[in-house]
Amino acid sequence: MLSRVADTIYWLARYMERTQSMLQVIRTNYIASQNEIYDFNWRPFLQLYGDLTPDELAQLDGHSTPILTHLVLDRNNGASAYRNILQGRENARAVQDHITKEVWQSLNDFYHVIRDPEVGQQITHEDPISGLDALLRQALLYAGTVQHTMPRDEGYAYLGIGKCLERAIQTTDILRVRWATVKEHAVHPLDAPALRYLLYSLVGYEQYIKTYKGTFNTENVLQFIVYNTQFPHALLYSLDQLAYYFGRLQPESLPESHAHVAFLIGKVRTAVRYSRLSAQEPEQLTSFLLQTRQQLLDVASALNTSYFGYN
Amino acid sequence: MKEDSLLKAYQEQPQVWDEMFGADGIRPEYTHFVTAIENLPASEMTRKDELAKKLFMSQGITFTVYSSGEGIEKIFPFDIIPRIIQHREWLHIEAGIKQRLRALNIFLKDIYHQQFILKDGLLPASLVYSCPQFLREMMHVDVPHDIYTHIAGVDLIRDNDGQFYVLEDNLRTPSGVSYMLENRSITYRIFPDLLPKNNVQPVKDYPDLLYRNLLALAGRQDSDATVVLLSPGIYNSAYFEHSTLARLMGIRLVEGRDLIVHNHFVYMKTTKGLQRVDVIYRRVDDEFLDPLAFRPDSALGVSGLYWAYRKGNVAIVNAMGNGVADDKAVYSYVPEMIRYYLNEEPILKTVPTYQMADPDLRQLVFSQMDRMVIKRTNESGGYGMLIGSAATQEQMDDFRKAILEDPRSFIAQPIISLSSTPCYLNGVLQPRRVDLRPFALYGPSGIDIVPGGLTRVALQEGSLVVNSSQGGGSKDTWVLGE
Repeated sequence: MLSRVADTIYWLARYMERTQSMLQVIRTNYIASQNEIYDFNWRPFLQLYGDLTPDELAQLDGHSTPILTHLVLDRNNGASAYRNILQGRENARAVQDHITKEVWQSLNDFYHVIRDPEVGQQITHEDPISGLDALLRQALLYAGTVQHTMPRDEGYAYLGIGKCLERAIQTTDILRVRWATVKEHAVHPLDAPALRYLLYSLVGYEQYIKTYKGTFNTENVLQFIVYNTQFPHALLYSLDQLAYYFGRLQPESLPESHAHVAFLIGKVRTAVRYSRLSAQEPEQLTSFLLQTRQQLLDVASALNTSYFGYN
Repeated sequence: MKEDSLLKAYQEQPQVWDEMFGADGIRPEYTHFVTAIENLPASEMTRKDELAKKLFMSQGITFTVYSSGEGIEKIFPFDIIPRIIQHREWLHIEAGIKQRLRALNIFLKDIYHQQFILKDGLLPASLVYSCPQFLREMMHVDVPHDIYTHIAGVDLIRDNDGQFYVLEDNLRTPSGVSYMLENRSITYRIFPDLLPKNNVQPVKDYPDLLYRNLLALAGRQDSDATVVLLSPGIYNSAYFEHSTLARLMGIRLVEGRDLIVHNHFVYMKTTKGLQRVDVIYRRVDDEFLDPLAFRPDSALGVSGLYWAYRKGNVAIVNAMGNGVADDKAVYSYVPEMIRYYLNEEPILKTVPTYQMADPDLRQLVFSQMDRMVIKRTNESGGYGMLIGSAATQEQMDDFRKAILEDPRSFIAQPIISLSSTPCYLNGVLQPRRVDLRPFALYGPSGIDIVPGGLTRVALQEGSLVVNSSQGGGSKDTWVLGE
C-alpha cells in the first residue's frame, strides 16, 4: 500500500474517533453546565478543542451558544467538530478506491448532517442535545459501517490503528482534565457528580454502575477507566486493540519497521498494565497520564517515519 | 415526418448540419433510435432524464468546484439523446486520425532529433523554437518504441457541408475518456435493449487496451512491471477520471509526493519501503513534472524524474514535449507533414488557420474579425479565445492589442459552424452544437481507436463553446457496426 494512502486512511480513522469523542464530551459538558450542581467550567475543554486566546476565553464564560458554536460548528476553528468531519471526508475522498462505497457514503452523509441548517439551529438556538445526538448518531453509523463492510485488509488495519491510538490519547486527556475537578473533592469519598460526568464523557456510566453495583468512589472509577479490559474506552483496552491491529500489519511490513513500532506500542502497553495508580495520589496520576500521552505520540511519530514516508 | 410532439417542436437551424435531421428527414443512422423513443410519453422521457442524473450523482460521477472554499460536488451535465455515427463515416474518421497520429509522431521524433522537416524548409524553424512547449530538454532523448503520442483525444467538428474537420489534436494529457465510458454505462440503463438492437459497437475495451500498451512500455525483463497513474491530486477537476482509470486498469493512483527518484530510478513510497516504478501514465503537465528540470515551484512533480526518463529507466506517457505538435500555429502544417512524412494525402480536413505573425494575414483578419475565431496558440479548455461573431467591440480591441504585442501567440480561423444535434432539455428537444473527441491509443503494436468517443455539447443556446469548464455537457456517442 502506498504510504500516502495508508497515512490518509489512518488519519481518517483518527479524525472520526476524535469527532465522536469530543461530541460526547461536549454533550456531557453541556448537561453538566445546565445542572449547575457544582462549579462548572468549560475552559479546559475550550483549550483542548480550540485555539482561543485567554481574553476570548474570558468573554465566552457562561455563554453556551457561542461556546457550542465554537466547538462544534465553527469553520474557522481548526479543532472544531465541523473541521474534523470535513477533514475526514476529504481524506475518504482521496482514498475512495481503498474504502468501501458504504463507508464513503456514511462520511458524506455525516458531512451533510453537520452542514444541515436544521442541526445548526438546534445546537445554537433550540435544544443542543438533539443537535448533538443527531451528530453522534452519524458517528456511530460510520463506526458500524466500517465494522460491517470493510474488507479485513491492510486498509482496515490502518483504520483500527488510527481509531485505537486516538481513543487512547482521548481517554488520557479526558481523564487528566476531568480529574482536576475530582481531585479538589478527593477528601469527600462520595463526590459523585464529577465522577459521573467523567464516566458519561467516556460512554462508560452504565457499564460502571453494573460492574460496581452502583458504588461510586474515586478509586473504582480510576481502575475502571484505566484497567478494565471489557470497557471499550478504557486505556488498557485501547492499547490492547492497538497492538492487535498493528500485529495484523506484520506480513505487509518491512521487518525492521514493524519491530520498531511494535516495540513502542509494547512499551506503553506494558507501562500501563503494570502500573499501580491510586486516586489518593493525584500528582502521580497526572504525571503518569502525561507520560503515557507522550509515549502514544512517540508511537504516532514512529508510524510517520516507518510507514508513512515522513522523513 | 415529425408526427409526434417530441420531434415536432424541434427547430432546425439554417446553415447548420443537423446530426439527426437531413433534408429528407431523419438520417438513416437515427431511424431505429427515433422509432424507439418517438412514441414515449413526455413524462417517461423526463423520468429517464431524471434517472440519468440520479445515477450520476449516486455513483459519484462528479467533479468538485472549490470556488467557495469548500468542495461542492457537481455532475458533468449529460444529455440522454445519443449522438449516432454511421459505420462508413467512422471508418473515414478512424483512418484519418490514424494517419494524422502517425505523421505527428514522426514529426515529434524528427523535431527532437535530426529535424529534417526544418532543414527541408517545410516548417519555419522560428515557429518551432518560439513555441513555449518545445522542450529543448527532449533533444536527442530516445523514447521507448519511438512513440510520443500514446494517447490522443482528437477534436473533430462537422461543418455545414457535412464534412469532419480536425480542430485540435490534444497530444498532451487529453481528458474525458472516463465520461465516454460512464455515459455508455448510463445509456444502457436508461434505454434497455437499444444498444444491441442498433448494433452499437462497444467502448468498454479502452482500459484494457491502454493497460496493455502501458505494460508493453516497461523496459525491464520483469513479468511484474509496476505501472502507475500520476495525478495532481483530489483538487484537480479531473480527479474522478484519474481514479476511475486507475481502478479500471487496476494500477496505483499516485501523486508526486508518493514518488522519489534515487540513482536515476523512480520508486514509490509504500508501507513496505520503496518499490520501483516502470511506467508512469501522467496526468500532470510537462512544466510541473520535475521541479529540477522545469518549473522549480512545482509541488506536483518528482525531483529528478526528467533524468530518470532521459536515461530510459522509466517510461512516461505521453512523452514530454508533445506540446510542440499541439501548438495551434504548428497545427496548420499537419497536412504538409502528412504529405512529407507519409507521402499520403490527408484524409481529414483541417480548418484554415492564419498565423498572426504574418503581417498580411493579420491585416486580413483584423478587417473581418467578426467572422473569425481567434485563439491563443498554447491554451486549451476554451480559454484565451475570441469568437468574433459574439464579441463586443471592446473585446475585439483588447485582442487586437494583445495580438500586436505578441503576434506569435495567436492564430485566427474562420468560424466553423459546429453541427447540431437534438438535446432533451426542459422536456423538449432542442438543437445544440456538438463536437466529437475520439480517443486514440498508440502502442508498440499499432494504433487503436475504440469506436466511440466523447461528444461534447454546448448547452447554451447558440453557443459554439463545448468545453466542460465553460458550461458544456456531454452525450453518449454511438458508432454503429456494419
